[in-house]
Parts: sequence; C-alpha cells; structure tokens
Amino acid sequence: MSAIHSSQLAFLAAHAPFNRMEPAHLLWMLERMKLAYYARGDVIVSPEQGTAEHFLVIKQGMVQGEQNVADASVADTWLELSEGECFPLGALLANRPVASVYRAGKDTFCYELPVADFHTLLEMSLPFRDFCTRRIANLLEHSKQVIQAQYTQSGAEQQSLTSPLSAIIRRAPVTCAPQTSVREVLQQMHESRIGSMVAVDDAGRPLGILTLPDVLVRIALPQIDLAQPVIGVMTKQLSTLPPQALAHEAALMMAKQGLRHVLVVDNGRLVGLVSEKDLFAMQRVGFRQIGSAIRHAQLLEELQQAAADTRSMAHNMMAQGVAAEQLTQFISTFNDLLTARVIELECTASEFCTTQLADRLCWMALGSEGRFEQTLSTDQDNALIFTVPDGMTEDQLRGQLLPIAKRINDTLALCGFPLCRGNVMASNPQWCLSLEDWKRTFSNWITNGTPEALLHASIFFDFRALYGAHALAEELRLWLVRVASDNTRFLHQMAENAMRLRPPLGVVRDFVVGKEHMLDLKLNGITPFVDGARIFSLAAGVTHTSTIQRLRASAAMMKVHPNEIEAWIDAFLFIQVLRLRHHDEQKTRGVSDDALDNLIDPERLNELDRRILKEAFRQARKLQARLALEYHL
Amino acid sequence: MFTRLAHLLGKRMQLSAQQQQRLNAWKDLPHAALDAPFSGTRCVVVDVETSGLNLMEDRLISIGAVAMVNGQIAMGDSFYVVLQQPTISHKKNILLHGIGGAEQTEGAPATDALLAFLEYLRKDPLTAFHVTFDETMIRRAMRQFLGLSFKHPWLDMAYVMPALNPVLAGRRRSLDDWINCFDIRNDARHNALADALVTAQLFQVALAQGRKKNITNFAGLLDLERAQRWVRGEN
Repeated sequence: MSAIHSSQLAFLAAHAPFNRMEPAHLLWMLERMKLAYYARGDVIVSPEQGTAEHFLVIKQGMVQGEQNVADASVADTWLELSEGECFPLGALLANRPVASVYRAGKDTFCYELPVADFHTLLEMSLPFRDFCTRRIANLLEHSKQVIQAQYTQSGAEQQSLTSPLSAIIRRAPVTCAPQTSVREVLQQMHESRIGSMVAVDDAGRPLGILTLPDVLVRIALPQIDLAQPVIGVMTKQLSTLPPQALAHEAALMMAKQGLRHVLVVDNGRLVGLVSEKDLFAMQRVGFRQIGSAIRHAQLLEELQQAAADTRSMAHNMMAQGVAAEQLTQFISTFNDLLTARVIELECTASEFCTTQLADRLCWMALGSEGRFEQTLSTDQDNALIFTVPDGMTEDQLRGQLLPIAKRINDTLALCGFPLCRGNVMASNPQWCLSLEDWKRTFSNWITNGTPEALLHASIFFDFRALYGAHALAEELRLWLVRVASDNTRFLHQMAENAMRLRPPLGVVRDFVVGKEHMLDLKLNGITPFVDGARIFSLAAGVTHTSTIQRLRASAAMMKVHPNEIEAWIDAFLFIQVLRLRHHDEQKTRGVSDDALDNLIDPERLNELDRRILKEAFRQARKLQARLALEYHL
Repeated sequence: MFTRLAHLLGKRMQLSAQQQQRLNAWKDLPHAALDAPFSGTRCVVVDVETSGLNLMEDRLISIGAVAMVNGQIAMGDSFYVVLQQPTISHKKNILLHGIGGAEQTEGAPATDALLAFLEYLRKDPLTAFHVTFDETMIRRAMRQFLGLSFKHPWLDMAYVMPALNPVLAGRRRSLDDWINCFDIRNDARHNALADALVTAQLFQVALAQGRKKNITNFAGLLDLERAQRWVRGEN
C-alpha cells in the first residue's frame, strides 16, 4: 500500500538529477525510500560502518563531510551538503565504505534508498546513471544548456561555433587527380563555381590545394604553361582537421595561419572543405579578419579596434556555450597576436633593429597570460630575457631595451591591458635580464623561500615565450624544472603557501564571504588549482605552463588517477566560466577594463551553478588534500 | 436517538460477506506489543480532514497515514483515502483542505475506505497530533460504517513534545508551532497525508530525544504523555 503526496515528488523534482528523471522512476524510488532523522551532530554514515548501504537525499537540514584523518584534532570539514543533494555516490558505485564521516550539521531529515534499489535505479534511469557516474561533468552540461538558453537572444540565428565540422560541410569536395592539367582544373572550377580545388590520390588522400587567389599569383602573372600537371602549382602544406573537430578550432586555425580553407580529413581521406565563408556565416566578424587586422595594423586605433573585436567575439563565443578551455585559449591567441604586433610596431618606431637582435631577445608572458588563461580582465605581466652580444655590456643593452619596453607596455595599456600594479613588466629594470641573471634570480628565490620569493615564483614561474627568440625562454624553463624538482624544501614551502588559501566550504550562508557578502572567484576558486598544478608540474619536471596541461602531464608522476585529474580540470574550468561570464556582464554594464573584478554574489547564482560551484570547491579541497599528503602538511 | 441507532444498525447490515470477512480478519490479528523496542516495530502516524471541527456533527473526509518502521518513515508504506460524501462540505471547509466537491463525491465508499485503512493499519499503534480529534472522528466513522468499536492504542504528540521539550514548550500548542520549531517544512498543510508526514517527522525527533532519556518503546512514550497530562491537570 502506498500513497505519496505530490509535494514529495515536487520536492525531488526541483533538484538535479531528479528533475530529469521520469516521474514513474521517481515514484518507484520514493516508494522504496525511508525518511530518517538525524539530530545535529549525529553520524549519518562513516567508514567504520563498512560498505555503504544507502543512497541518501537530504530532504531538509545540512550534512557535513569530515575527513577521517588519523589525528582527530585536525578533523577537517570537507564538504557541506544541503537540501536536495545526495550522497555518498562514490562509495555506492564502488561498493566500498565511505571515505569521510558524514554528520548532521543541523537537525536533518534524509530520504534513504537501500543500495540494491540504488543499483536497480541506475539500470532503470539513464539521467540518474549519468548523474551518478559523471557528477560534475553532468552538472556542467546542465549548466551549459542553461547558459546557452540565456544567451540565445544575442545569437539566435547564428549557427554555433561549437558544431562539429561534419555538420558544417555543405557538400562533397570537388577533387581532381594530381596529374590533371592546370587548364582542365581551371575549367572545372569555373563551371562548378568553386573557389578551390583539392588534388587527391587514388585513396582519396589530399595532396594539394589550389585557390582562386593562387590563380593570379601562380598562374596568370607568371604565364605558366596551362598543360602542365596542376599539382605543380598547388599548395602542398595542408591544414587539416578531423570531422569531429569543432567549428571554432577551424576558425582559430585560419586566424593563426592566415588561411581561407581548412581540409576536413577522416582517416587520411578528404571528406570536405570548410571555408572561411562557411564560418563567416556564424560570426559577424571572422576570426581570420581579426587575426589579419592585427597582423597588418599600423595605427593604434586599428589595434584598439582589433582588441575590441576580440572581446565582442569572446562574448559571442560565450553565448554559444564554447567551453572555457577554448575560450581562454582563443583570448590568449589573439592577445598574443596583438602583443606581438605591438612589439613589432614599437621596435620599428624606435628604429630598433629587431633582425640584429632577433635571436638574442625574447618577450615573455607571465602569470595568467603565461598559462594561456587570460580572461577579459588581465593586467599585463611580462618580462624580457636576452643574451648580451659581444662588445656590449648587459647594462648597455638594457639601457637600449627599457625605453622600448616602456612604449610597448604603454601601448598595450591603451589596447585594454592595464599596467601591472606590482610593476611586473618588461620596462622594469628588475625584470629585463639576461638568461644568466634570470637563472640567478630564480636560484635565489628557490634557496631563500621568503614570502616575497614565493609570491614572485607564483607569477614568474608561469613564464613562456611570446615574441622573439623562444629558445631563450625554453632554455630557462628546462633549467628551472631541473633545479626545482630537486629542491624538495622549496616545493614544500610552495605547497605550504598554497594551503593558506582554503576553498570555501559552502557557497552561501555557510561561507564567510567577507563584509560585502562577495566571493572572490580568483582567490578562492582558481588559485588553489593554479598553485597546485604549478607545484605538481615543478615536482614532476613538466614544462607546460597551462594549469590543465600541467595537471594532465604530472598525473602519472603524482600517482593521481586520470579520472580525478579530469574532475579537477572540470572544476577549474567551471570557475573560469563563471569568471568569464562575470567579466562579460561587467563589460556589458560598462565597467572599464581596469575596474573588472572577480567578486560575485553567490546568492545571485542560480541553484544549479551554486551546486556546481560547491562541487568545484570540493574538488579544490581534494587537490589540496593531495598536496598535503605529498608534502606532509 | 432510536432513529439514529436504527440508522447505524442499518448501515452495519450493509456489510457484504466479503467485507465482513475482511473486518473479521482484522479483528483476529494479534495485538501489538507496546513494549517492543522502536528499532523493531511498526507504528502508524495518522491525520484526518473533516467537514468541520464539531466532533459530533462533522464528517470524516479523508485519512492520511504514514508508517514508522524501525524508527524510519517508510515512504512506500503510506496510506491516503478520500471518503465518499453524501453532501459536499462548505466552501470555507473546502478551501482549508483543498478536497473539492467532485473529489468528495467521487471518493471511495466509506465502508471500503475504512476497511482499507484497517488493513493498512493492522494492529499497530497509532500516533497523531491532538489525538482527541482524529480518534473521535475515526471512531465515529468506524462505528457508523463498520459497526466496529474501534479501541486502539493512541499516542498524542501534542503531549509528548512539550514533555520532552519543557523549555521550548512555552506557548507552543499547534502542530505548526512544533514543526516550525524544528524547521520541518510542510509543503501541503491541511492535506491529511502531508500533515501525517510532518507529524511523523516530529515523531522522529521525539524518538531521538526519547532515546537520550532511555525511552525506547511506545509504552515509554505513552507514560510520558500520561505524565504530561497530569502536569497539565487533565487527569
């Protein structure tokens, strides 16, 4: 006999994953559930109880997870779960005891489903299974759809840059054999009204491409013999992508390399051609146009326009739900292009002969720029590295470089990259050094480990080459990982320092969000991941600078399971998305570049985002726990 | 008086053989042991909605109940029935419990509804908030439609809660007062099933509090209730 009041179903249906489950499955679950009461402080489930026996959903109240550390005095609250959340998924899925003690933080009622029914439900309900097995990924997907829905007004008719190329290809590619005569090919291009022709071999593998602009330069002007095989006048360096690659990857490739076409190749075989025009339909301003505008800019106004276009494109991409990783990568790519162009222009304006010093100088990006993690709010963090030519002293060279560096910094500031408040810029004599001096400086930081040295390390150790002699920065990088990975004392100090920033427990009422009731997404959200990844990478001798690549590349050395790494990365990226959205909103409201911040009011997030953010913080704490274990903190 | 008695007897005569058999089967069930520990017993938390607050005149409209099994509320082991009404209750009354006219006339025939309730209940003890009301309404209906003298162990949370929480008791009287006190949310107040559920949640709080005073069975809570009645000078 059973009667379930609809309000109970309604309660569940207000929370993920139950809101996606079929009502019949929900009812099935609810009928098998017991409602249990736990007074504040009662243990709900603990490792000592053995294999987890119930799936619990909090009906009301709050549950705290505590790490079951041997030393009870440092028992650490690990997570806070509130109404509508469920636990302990990991233990249930793996048929093991829970890893934490779950305790009622206040008087709490939980719906409890026996483990056998939990497994039946996993089989029965796809949304439920998906949620349980890919919790954070699933929530993120959910959130992405919400974002896309929110932004649709701003780009309703735009085909999404997140569509795979296979969906964009309009028709089968028109191809020819490599030995076809130039005349025949031109004839066919004319008849079929196509702008390009790809030569393929018998197996359909692309060998070369001829485009209309090529006709002018390679055929008409040199007046070549039209009877010769077309392959001789084709471009043979082909840019290809697989069909499952996304539209924005093609756009980025065109922008970086100045191309008009990207070949879509499946298992070596040509399956289609994506032109700039195809992608243009999706964007008011094409990626390549911005790229090309930057490359050919002569005036400050042109650079400023390109910087503005980059931002509005970032806004559109956000609207289309492009993932944070690609978005920050996009922003970094264009900021790099812009910086490089500013350097070129300022060098020319100063009549500084770049060619002479080209192999002796390198402009380095530091901090978030060095990690390819720029958002729309990015101070300049840069430095110069050089080798001194014969017949010149270091000071003489620096004397020449500093005024130019100053002009570069100032121009970048005019393009929307505010000057660094801490003066971490190439125009600062302290950060315009020879390779040897950089090694000496880094050495000092590593051996001294003063708070100031650790702070510097957190900015400078994310350096990468942006313009000039990349080899110099690369040499410094190789030297650094060798020195740092041997210095466990320094790594220990870095870890200790990183642990000072604890990710918040809850998001809203449970977390002291400062007097303004604001949460700092950078300090509390991003920094734990960035710091952790830097330490892992230095310890593991990994040369990458991006947080994601650092985590992936050091996983094996740190003996962290890839799934766990991916969960950290998902969490990190989600917080990045929130930051990007926040900056985007601020810009829309007319906040100036140097006034953008990372402070959000958690109350204003929707329920789903709040939950994901909480989950993201939980992942940050897991990463820190890993750090603590590694360095005995 | 005689006409009313005749009316009652008349109703009773209407029990079909099968209904009579169901009633007998219930009567034959063994009585629950009230001293068995909560960790191994079932009891039923009940709430009713009526056509009004007059214990003698008003009619039973619906019964909602949830079972407490081994100290936990078994969501699947729950009961709800709307009794078929000869006349629709007043508009004001409808607004209170939300059971509309159509639903009232389309409800289950009272005899079947009550038999189903008994079969759901078995001989397990009952709990409610302000028992007098629920008990009287159910007893009257049992006598009227089944000819059954429904004598059953009842526990009243309206006495148990102040007994366990003398400090909190103060001016707290109603179910709403007490559920607010423990942050128990009622999503559908004045629906018999939803009210039974929150009463059961209150009962769970009482069980946890009782454990600290070594009260581990139904009989123990009944003693507590009796003591509280004495304190209030009701016995």
